[in-house]
Amino acid sequence: MTNFPYGKAPFWILVLSLVTGVILLVVSGKSDNDSYDLVFVTFARSHLEGYQKATKEFEKEHGVRVHTQLVSGRAVKDRLQSALMTDAEVPDLVETLADSMGYFTQGPVEDIGFMDLTDLLKQEQVNGVTLYDRFVESRFSRLSRNGRIYALPHDVHPLMLCYRRDIVEDELGIDINQLETWDDFTRIGRQVTKDLDGDGNPDRFMIDLDKAGGDFIIPLLQQRDEGLFDVDGNLTIDTEGVIDTIVWYIRQCYGPNRIAFSAGWGQTLAKTISDGLVLFYYCPDWRSKQFEMDVPQLEGKLALMPLPAWKPGERRVSTWGGTGLAITKACKNKELAWAYAKKLYLKREDLGDRFMASYILPPVKDAWELPIFQTPIPLYSNQPIGQLYAALAPDIPPNYASPYYELARSKLSEAFLNAAQYYQEQGKTGLRDYTRTELKRVSAYVKKVMIHNVFYADAMQNTSGETSNRTMSK
Amino acid sequence: MTPSNRRAPWFFLSPYLLLTLIFFIYPFLNAIILAFHQTNGPKSRAFVGWRNFIFVLSDSDFHTAFWNTTIYALASICVQLPLSLGFAMLLNAKKDNLKGIFRLILFSPHLVGQVFVGIIFALLFMPRHGLFNRFLQGLIFWGLDQEWLSNPALVMPALIIVSMWMYVGFNMIYFLAALQNVDQELTEAAMIDGANAWHRFWTVTVPAIKPVAVFVVIMSTIGSYQLFEMPYSMLRGYGPKNAGLTIVGYLYRTAFETGDLGTGAAIGWVLALIIFTFSMAQMAIARGTEID
Repeated sequence: MTNFPYGKAPFWILVLSLVTGVILLVVSGKSDNDSYDLVFVTFARSHLEGYQKATKEFEKEHGVRVHTQLVSGRAVKDRLQSALMTDAEVPDLVETLADSMGYFTQGPVEDIGFMDLTDLLKQEQVNGVTLYDRFVESRFSRLSRNGRIYALPHDVHPLMLCYRRDIVEDELGIDINQLETWDDFTRIGRQVTKDLDGDGNPDRFMIDLDKAGGDFIIPLLQQRDEGLFDVDGNLTIDTEGVIDTIVWYIRQCYGPNRIAFSAGWGQTLAKTISDGLVLFYYCPDWRSKQFEMDVPQLEGKLALMPLPAWKPGERRVSTWGGTGLAITKACKNKELAWAYAKKLYLKREDLGDRFMASYILPPVKDAWELPIFQTPIPLYSNQPIGQLYAALAPDIPPNYASPYYELARSKLSEAFLNAAQYYQEQGKTGLRDYTRTELKRVSAYVKKVMIHNVFYADAMQNTSGETSNRTMSK
Repeated sequence: MTPSNRRAPWFFLSPYLLLTLIFFIYPFLNAIILAFHQTNGPKSRAFVGWRNFIFVLSDSDFHTAFWNTTIYALASICVQLPLSLGFAMLLNAKKDNLKGIFRLILFSPHLVGQVFVGIIFALLFMPRHGLFNRFLQGLIFWGLDQEWLSNPALVMPALIIVSMWMYVGFNMIYFLAALQNVDQELTEAAMIDGANAWHRFWTVTVPAIKPVAVFVVIMSTIGSYQLFEMPYSMLRGYGPKNAGLTIVGYLYRTAFETGDLGTGAAIGWVLALIIFTFSMAQMAIARGTEID
């Protein structure tokens, strides 16, 4: 040791570094996941908690161990992306937001990191009904590419309007059955949006709509069978239907006749509703539970109604958000993973229990027959909200995936804001033409970005002949 | 020195060199290669030459991101740093027990993570109910319904306000340390020669703190051009009309939202070049104004 260069201290530093290096190598070489038969990752704590019972049963039935992990939503996407790109270790099953699916299913089919579930869904039957037919069909749209399904839908997320029943019906005497169309809604909205105390600031607005457009325009587009992309992945943000919707939306958010207020998110929105500043707000199923937690003092004062239609007799529902469960191609025991996926997503009794824990409507249609979905909910004036959402669910519009979904959404918002600025400066004369020009401009931009990706452009060209086999259609 | 003695330093440096090789040199070289390719997963890669760079430099969203980031950087240098220096001078002038408390109060926002700050300020900037809007309404009878995060014209001012809250105290610490090292004999000599406070500041204090000031300006510029988490979390994306899109945000959107890693790498190199150019320019200006 004394002969070691520079004496004792460097010698011991070397020993320590070698020992820690070896320990690190051993520890990192042995993954925690090796001792489990399946690894399942989700981003929602409520989902994970809801799956505990089914997971324990599954472990007992199959004599296996399942490792369930909670990872934040953004991290699920980013880590999975990185792992798939580098061929690194990935979980066997993963729940991811439907918004991300376009990214994971882009490029050559052989590069898609998720298992194709289409044949399993269409071949397996229960009581003569295929698994595919047990689901709400439109919910596969965001989880598919070229008619092939890469994830099971977790939810339906029907979008209704929630309103302050005590103010709207009792105080203002409005019959919500009169609000059949958006034209009816805006007409009544102009009457009730008011400055009540004369300080120059309106104290009551008809509806919460984001003045920046954001996520609020897309459900309205879907309601009228418009959207950012079509089933073939083509950009569709410059159609006449999109122009109509944007012009309508601008007039609700800006100018002297506006009826909308941007109430924000979470507790800020809850406070706005609680104060009666806004009377109606978008209420997909996932939001109905959040409000139960945020504003219990409004028990019996809220109620749900279907979205007003664009034209009498047309669709009165849309959708907002979505999650899918995918099995990775790297999964070593795909049969076991598929069995676990079915256990989580298709066992009727568990779906009922999970609905009561989250108010999120499962996409499995036969589950809606369970009595639990008829339960009256006190916050919503004892309406059976499960039944209300379920009644609208079969009419949910499709919403197609693309890796350029976020970019298209952002550019749609940009066009909207430019048109809104035009409206504030010039009024409604020429607004429609200006909006069309703006949408054409941003559409050209998104197409330029899409064409820049050689893999995406190639994949689009190679699959252009496959559309006839696709199962999804508008 | 024996051969084994000559090898010994390399032997002890080897862990650091190995880690640098794996986590810096290899990614560095790979990023150069990647910038000339487009990828799709681990198996597919296509050489595209300068196409990624041409696309980025001609992209209107990159121009937006560049100007947004530059405005933010200019605000950091022209508004934030003078404020930091002002606070540092105030704290340096008074010698009392409260100095430590004020220093802690001003510095503490920097201890909070950018994402957390973004989420908190998103609530503070809410129209009608946001504390910031209510404060403005109470103070100047304006601002109750201002939509800081929905109005493209107000997004950048909101980001600058937040960054001031976060970084003024942090930069103040550098200036305070520099001010405490100013030679008091020079200051006293200037006073005896009849120099007023303003002259003493320009002729004694500024030259003395100049190395630190240059360092702070360069670090602020680099930090500003790397801005991402705070606006992204505060705006839940890039803001209306991309008013909160920064260069790193543009990189993230390209590489990790649309999955174009090659173009993402090209953006990274363009960003590195921008930071290098500005830093060199600042150092050259600083050298050019040195007083012998």
